[in-house]
Amino acid sequence: MHIPDGFLSAPIWMSMWIIAIVIVGYAVKRTNEKLGERHVPMMGVLAAFIFAAQMLNTPVAGGTSGHMMGGVLAAVFLGPFAATIVMSTVFAVQAIFFQDGGITTLGANIFNMGLIGTILGYYIYQGIRKVIGGEKGMLVGAGVAAWITLMLGAIACAIMLGASGVVPLGVALPAMAGVHVLIGAIEAGITVVVVGMVLRSRPDLLELQKI
Amino acid sequence: MKHDFIDKYAELDSVIHRLDPRIKIISFFSFIFFVISTQPPRFSIIFAQPSEVLMGSLKFLFYFLLIFSVILVSKVPLRFVFKRSLVIIPFVLLIAIFIPFLKEGEIAGSYSFASLHLNVTYTGLETLFNVLSKSWLSVLSMLALASTTKFPRLLKGFEKLGMPRVMVMIVSFMYRYVFVLGDEVMRMKCARDARSFGGNSKWHIKTVGNIIGTLFVRTYERGERVYVAMVSRGFSGKIKILDDLHVRKLDLCFMISFLTFLTMIWAVL
Repeated sequence: MHIPDGFLSAPIWMSMWIIAIVIVGYAVKRTNEKLGERHVPMMGVLAAFIFAAQMLNTPVAGGTSGHMMGGVLAAVFLGPFAATIVMSTVFAVQAIFFQDGGITTLGANIFNMGLIGTILGYYIYQGIRKVIGGEKGMLVGAGVAAWITLMLGAIACAIMLGASGVVPLGVALPAMAGVHVLIGAIEAGITVVVVGMVLRSRPDLLELQKI
Repeated sequence: MKHDFIDKYAELDSVIHRLDPRIKIISFFSFIFFVISTQPPRFSIIFAQPSEVLMGSLKFLFYFLLIFSVILVSKVPLRFVFKRSLVIIPFVLLIAIFIPFLKEGEIAGSYSFASLHLNVTYTGLETLFNVLSKSWLSVLSMLALASTTKFPRLLKGFEKLGMPRVMVMIVSFMYRYVFVLGDEVMRMKCARDARSFGGNSKWHIKTVGNIIGTLFVRTYERGERVYVAMVSRGFSGKIKILDDLHVRKLDLCFMISFLTFLTMIWAVL
């Protein structure tokens, strides 16, 4: 889903850059106020964690494999704004050093794969967690949030490509959504297992101050 | 373990490697903006005005020659560059399968497979040429940047160009620890592969989930240790970095000529 340069029209990538700058800028401000620069080492190490977690491939179907994105996971542990900074950093480094996603399309990629998961995903997770309650609520919330936000990310990606005139929306939307039903399920599965595992071994890490 | 997956070949020595990182960032980012904003050739008028289509295609050839000559001078192995530049392929394939469905416009050719009729239109071909050439050239430009500049220097360049300090610090910590965590992941992956073969997807998800969970707990604990160690050595939240970046005449010459070439290709051709 990393969109390369050249796939989005100028109005789309420019507006996505503006949205990304505004939200990430706000996240930086919020995090600075609440934590100060003292917590930067931890966020840096956690960005490295997302990077390393993405090195683990899981077989998807038909011989292909994928890795998790981890946006919802980061938000469950850190809170929406700290997770936003961590995820955006990872995407920027991937674009510049791994050519995974373009430079002009970085704003769109941060939005699709980062912001939807870290911010919207976090509030979906919190909502479900409060309704169901307890450990079960956390697990269900994390899983549902991971699946929904990955689907929304794929749909947003298809809409952007469609609006740029690169692919007809009527074909791209069902295709992208269809493929990501399964990928989303895997993301949700991994997210649930990780949260469950941390709940068993270090439950205190899930009670950290959320930013 | 030895990892050089982030800035492979940045250790080489060439004129391009020695350029100031800021100069390279501005030049190679501009390259992308110029390429992206170039009008693709309109294949539908290929018979009416062949010269215009030819000129349009030539622009992209000249962009390629420009970035290719930079890569040649930098001595980064071409095999590596071309192999790495294939990252865009999955996305291009995604577009390619849609081409027959882009039905508006004149039909360039029709193919029939059994009962399936596919029409390739000029609009479709234009779209394919447009995304393929632009994304590939942009990838080459970023490769030219990342494989000729060491990570810390590049980061310093970004900081000097106004990237927020918090982000610079996060990235520099990430860079230091990604190798340590990469090793941890490799070890756990190795342990998993040594103990298992095949398995259904439910099992895979559970294993990967547990590995990532373990990694998170270990990472968090490491982060705490790092922070405590830094505080005990006087870390106050400010990081002081030695400033040894200098823009020389050669750097300016490179940037000016690179940007001049870009403007010439963009506007004149």
